[in-house]
Amino acid sequence: MNLVEERRQEALSLFEKVGLPNKRDENWKYTDASRLADLLEIDGSNTAINIEGLGMVDLDAYRMVFINGAFDAAQSSLPDEVNIVSLATLQSSVSDDDSQALAKLFQVSGDEPLFNGLMALNAATASDGAAVCLADNSVLNKPLYILHVSNQNNVIRHGLMLGEHAQAQVIEHFISTAENKALSNCVTALILKNGASLEHSRLQQEGKQQSHIARVEVKQCRDSSYTFHGVELGASLSRTDLVVNLSEQGASCALNGLFVLDGRQHVDHHTRVDHTAPHCTSHENYRTVLDGRSHAVFNGKVVVHEGASKTDSVQSNGNLLLSKHAEIDTKPELEIYNDDVKCAHGATVGQLDDKQLFYLRSRGVSEEAAQELLTFAFADEVLAKMSNTTVRRYIEKAAFAKLPHSEGIEGLLGE
Amino acid sequence: MLVIKDLHVSVDGKEILKGLSLTINAGEVHAIMGPNGAGKSTLSNVIAGRDGYEVTSGSLTYKGEDLLAMKPEERAWAGVFLAFQYPVEIPGVNNTYLLKAGVNAKRKYQGLDELDAFDFMSVVKEKAKLVELDTSFLTRSVNEGFSGGEKKRNEIFQMAVLDPDLALLDETDSGLDIDALRIVAGGVNKLRSADRAIVMITHYQRLLDYIEPDFVHVLADGEIQKTGDKSLALKLEEHGYDWVKENL
Repeated sequence: MNLVEERRQEALSLFEKVGLPNKRDENWKYTDASRLADLLEIDGSNTAINIEGLGMVDLDAYRMVFINGAFDAAQSSLPDEVNIVSLATLQSSVSDDDSQALAKLFQVSGDEPLFNGLMALNAATASDGAAVCLADNSVLNKPLYILHVSNQNNVIRHGLMLGEHAQAQVIEHFISTAENKALSNCVTALILKNGASLEHSRLQQEGKQQSHIARVEVKQCRDSSYTFHGVELGASLSRTDLVVNLSEQGASCALNGLFVLDGRQHVDHHTRVDHTAPHCTSHENYRTVLDGRSHAVFNGKVVVHEGASKTDSVQSNGNLLLSKHAEIDTKPELEIYNDDVKCAHGATVGQLDDKQLFYLRSRGVSEEAAQELLTFAFADEVLAKMSNTTVRRYIEKAAFAKLPHSEGIEGLLGE
Repeated sequence: MLVIKDLHVSVDGKEILKGLSLTINAGEVHAIMGPNGAGKSTLSNVIAGRDGYEVTSGSLTYKGEDLLAMKPEERAWAGVFLAFQYPVEIPGVNNTYLLKAGVNAKRKYQGLDELDAFDFMSVVKEKAKLVELDTSFLTRSVNEGFSGGEKKRNEIFQMAVLDPDLALLDETDSGLDIDALRIVAGGVNKLRSADRAIVMITHYQRLLDYIEPDFVHVLADGEIQKTGDKSLALKLEEHGYDWVKENL
């Protein structure tokens, strides 16, 4: 058995030992993972799906398409000169020398922040993923668009490594073609070497019955910069654990989240940022717009370790409740073991501002349109930091379509 | 155009306007002056339709219609405009979008076709010149990050674009330095017309040096205490508001 297989076996044993997360685990207090119990079997029969007309983002980009967790080369378009391959391909062709590096991608330890059984299960059962390795000083000249299409359970594991001063933009997009119950379990592991810079968007638009479990792990070296945009529009239950380690000085991350939920949707993001080196920055901004009986959970934990002087950390979480049945559980947390730091955190929960509503109405905007306009503006603020305007417009349109009375202010888009 | 009869208004159970009556005709410019707490802002808010003001008796008739039965946006469509004392910042909603939504909603109410983007922008650019507003304002969020003077200029700019029949200027002069005041007043003067009534609510006589009113009213204790021409404002400036009370 090679090293990779050994790690995956270990991960399986670990999962068998710990099982699914349960409500006794503080990190899973509000999200009921027992709902996932009957969704763990992977159906090996992989149906082909044509991505035409599925509503993907119309981007000038390199494209990797995964159908039910398997790379579809025919529907993908990748550059020849850059090292972007599918993980399954890489595994089958890797030399013994390189297998050690690859094995690391499948290594899971119970000591990791926000560890849970699902991430072990992912390492054990992932069928495929993107394996991206950007050389030092290289700039990916187009965004990498990773499209995940599913109509059944799927397990995906991506590994991306940006060499020193490398730059890239990656967009992960999740859609499903069926309304059945199914589970997506996706892990994205990122390593940013010195001075590397990555803008990473994750757009989750899976079907109404779908469950989506994700983990994004980021290891940042010196002076690297990571920007995350997590947009949650779809699925019935969606949980993301975002774990960032600012391990060398001068590293910075910006974590942005937007949930627009309705019906009985349940979305939970747990973020964990470890400042272990001096002069690192973490800026976090999450916003939710909740209608119907939807439920959002935000838990943002920042740990400033002893050696992390001159840390600059800001966390903010704003929540707009459009319905009296919607619910938010928000908990920004700070643990600080160093005196020489600048840290702030805060959360707000509320309705629309009466003064703003009146101002708009006094200018002739109808009450409903004014409400929609302010709701949209509230949500859109998070997207302002997204550099790719095509992706931003796509998200705005999709988020907009979920608002209750959006007809009146359609003209706002594209202004 | 606007007839206010024996208006009583309470806020949180406390009576602020205590039987105010006032008639305003097209083409007239009125100044309503008064000390703090007299009910000046209450009056403008009630006319514009803000929540939280309880009209306990009296009437507000605008162009023959009961204004109190209309929603704030309906009042705007019918030609009522309020320049706010404290214009609110609205991050994420851009000025152009707001104006376009307002102009087109009003045109729809009047049974007119919506303005196309080109016609709209030429109106907007022309009006921006009235208050010397740089067109870069248009793409910014409503009032966000504007200085006090910029906010007030933006109010008059919106007034120019929305082209109201009845314009209420609530302390538009407060917080302005002399240059900004001159610009804002210049804009208002250019908007004076035979079809339009303008009501200026102010604490200071200074504004009236730049915009000459046809009538000056002194509002104190929830009622109009005295009405005169612009010389009344000068007397007020000289003697203070106590003089009105002493001479009742």
